[in-house]
Amino acid sequence: MSQAGTLQLPDAHGYLDRVIGELRSLNTPQKNTLVSVLEYLSDHIRATRNEIGALRRDGAGNQMFSSTTDELEEIVTETARATNRIMDAAETVENVASTVGEPIVANVLMTAVTNIYEASAFQDITGQRITKIVRSLQSLEEKLASLASAFGPLDGAASAEAVREGDAALLNGPQLEKTASSQTDIDALFASLE
Amino acid sequence: MSLNKNMRIVIVDDYTTMLRILRNLLRQLDLNNVEEANDGDAAYHLMQKSPPDLIISDWNMAPVTGLDLLRNVRSNPRLKHIPFIMVTAESKTENVIVAKQAGVSNYIVKPFNADTLRAKIASVCPATV
Repeated sequence: MSQAGTLQLPDAHGYLDRVIGELRSLNTPQKNTLVSVLEYLSDHIRATRNEIGALRRDGAGNQMFSSTTDELEEIVTETARATNRIMDAAETVENVASTVGEPIVANVLMTAVTNIYEASAFQDITGQRITKIVRSLQSLEEKLASLASAFGPLDGAASAEAVREGDAALLNGPQLEKTASSQTDIDALFASLE
Repeated sequence: MSLNKNMRIVIVDDYTTMLRILRNLLRQLDLNNVEEANDGDAAYHLMQKSPPDLIISDWNMAPVTGLDLLRNVRSNPRLKHIPFIMVTAESKTENVIVAKQAGVSNYIVKPFNADTLRAKIASVCPATV
């Protein structure tokens, strides 16, 4: 068993298959049990390799984790933008409230504006939570990459998730800003199709 | 209770939206002498030029955190007396304990409201109440 001492994970599957072949040639009553156990281990290693390969890519063949973290970071950017627009509107109301002659109306408006300011803090909270999730995903991705590397090249380790086809392949949600088409781009494309 | 309308306040947060929220809420308290910084390092440089009357700071910032800033402030003879309010989403018991041990004057957990902000400012700036 000197080979076992230097056995690498990428070789394990092939090594087990060779041992299984040698066991089958023996004439001992215990061989069937041993062969069954080793076949199970061999199948398990193969399945694990495939699953690790699939985990790192989504159905469209994209790097799943980097794509997911990009999407989450986009949420932070979009909510920050929306929050700033809400704040713009609230500041406008605050300015108008200070010019309203009727004190009761002015107070109602100012209270509403204060509530908007307070509620706008959600962006900070959600931003921090999402950033935390992004860091966890990045850590998980690094661990998976390390595990996949230990298993050797994942050629032929096809995604376990069915590749999306037809209309389903068109459903990708909002695009990231850096890759998204602008309305002008869409208009130009649409016009070119007529 | 009324606050000293002229007090100079430094607010510190890496989220520009939160800086804007703080500034607006302070304006509603008629506190308009406000300067902003995006992290502990920038804030420390700002207050070394001219010590403020109050510091309101987030905790979770890079590269210099709010806790680092608090410790820097408390170890600087020119700044160590300045009231320091931590405004943060870090709400674990150990956070509050560490901040208190570092010399924080008060602690506000996000999300917060205007009444809380006003009450905490009043509590750490007694001379202005």
